[in-house]
Amino acid sequence: MISFRNVSVEYRPGEKALDDINLEIQEGEFIVIVGLSGAGKSTLIRTINNLVPITDGELWVDGNSVGNLSRSGVRKLRSKIGMIFQGFNLVDRASVIQNVLMGRVFKLPTWRTVLGLYPKKDKQIAAEALDRVGLLEKSHSRATDLSGGQRQRVGIARALSQEPKVILADEPVASLDPPTSHAVMQHLQKINRDLGITTIVNLHFLDLATAYGDRIIGLRGGRVVFDGKGSECTPEVFEGIYGRSLTAEDTLQEEI
Amino acid sequence: MQASELKIPKKPGLRGSVIFSISFAFVLTIVTMITVEFSLIEIIENFTRPNMVVEGLLSPDLTQIFSERSRSAFLETLQLAILGTVSGGGLSLLMAFWATDFGNPIGWLRVIVRNFNNVIRSIPDLLWALLFVTAVGVGILPGLLALFFFSMAVVTKLTSDTLDGIDQGPIEAAKASGSGQLSMLRMAVLPQILPSYASFLLYGFELNLRASAVLGLVGAGGIGSRIEFFRGRLEWSEVWGLVLMFFLVVFFVERLSVTIRRRLV
Repeated sequence: MISFRNVSVEYRPGEKALDDINLEIQEGEFIVIVGLSGAGKSTLIRTINNLVPITDGELWVDGNSVGNLSRSGVRKLRSKIGMIFQGFNLVDRASVIQNVLMGRVFKLPTWRTVLGLYPKKDKQIAAEALDRVGLLEKSHSRATDLSGGQRQRVGIARALSQEPKVILADEPVASLDPPTSHAVMQHLQKINRDLGITTIVNLHFLDLATAYGDRIIGLRGGRVVFDGKGSECTPEVFEGIYGRSLTAEDTLQEEI
Repeated sequence: MQASELKIPKKPGLRGSVIFSISFAFVLTIVTMITVEFSLIEIIENFTRPNMVVEGLLSPDLTQIFSERSRSAFLETLQLAILGTVSGGGLSLLMAFWATDFGNPIGWLRVIVRNFNNVIRSIPDLLWALLFVTAVGVGILPGLLALFFFSMAVVTKLTSDTLDGIDQGPIEAAKASGSGQLSMLRMAVLPQILPSYASFLLYGFELNLRASAVLGLVGAGGIGSRIEFFRGRLEWSEVWGLVLMFFLVVFFVERLSVTIRRRLV
């Protein structure tokens, strides 16, 4: 499904954000990527939908070589990959359903999105996505009027409405409190189980990572330093990934 | 409670540069007043001396409000202001978008648009009118062209400033979902600026209405032409009647516009 072959990313010459990454990701996997901030988690996840272009190596996503796509090829690939952000990235002034409909834009002719005329079928898909995260009754609320957890669920619904093959989540719970974080992670897990969508989540809380990650990939200094089952991920392994001993701040529950 | 009161740290004194700037501004004002030979006495003398203009002000000819020709000149002014705002203000949405990084991925085009916006902004309304009166002759057309460029400049500037401060997150989200450029602007950017933009259009309309009085003085149509007509014949009562009428219209339009704008943002 997704295959990194000797992939590197340099933002500036000599400064490697990703350094010789090799990974094979199968369809339907639920993967958590851990690492300190600056370890390359965000960069790694953004290479998959080409928000960050790779500078070296080969990256295959769903049969496409990401480095060699045309502009329209990139857009088509992105339409198959839903993305969830740390800051939700919702349009605050717009209604919930309008935010979710953004996920349908690729499939629609431009005049329809410009005029805001969505076909019934697409509205239905958006409604189903909202229903899946339990927010259908909030369809016409403004995004600003929702709580943080609800807003992230709208973000999930927006990704879902793309009917994606892959979901990328970049620190989706970093700005949420512990119970809400679990609720959001459970939604992601359930979607992965029910719909078989390959899911890759960046996290920096270790307890969340082991609780939800079927497979955990550890990054340090742009390199993969761990790749294994979540159950194999002991505190010692994390200390290896982080390159230091663990502190209370490394877990969501603030206890070790 | 503590026995001794807390000592508030001494407020730092005026810095030398501040004192220098204030005295410089003061000296500059005095020097300017001397060079332009400013004199209060002269102003008072001129106003109290028998004076046609001031006499006209004391007996404004309010029947002008009901005169056919003055009314149609007023209508012309309103039409000018509306047309100028809609066309110039409409185009300014595009000009503002094209001046931003996310709205215009082509670097050199962005530089051209930005410079164009800067140039048209530095030209005042009266100069536009003079330019077009010279270019296309006296009448309503130069007035329209002047207001078109004037409102484009104003609304583009205000909209650009709003665009600078928008939340870029939704843009990233739209891109990540494979959205095209135009759809992205419509879905992720427009909802964020629409209330402000609508308010800028109304503000542009207010400015245009006021500007149209001056435009007529240089022959660019509207109520200004009518005022200029009476001024040329030294019929000051008529002039002041029209000015009064104009003042009332502008006042009410502005009140209305301010009320609507307050609700928008």
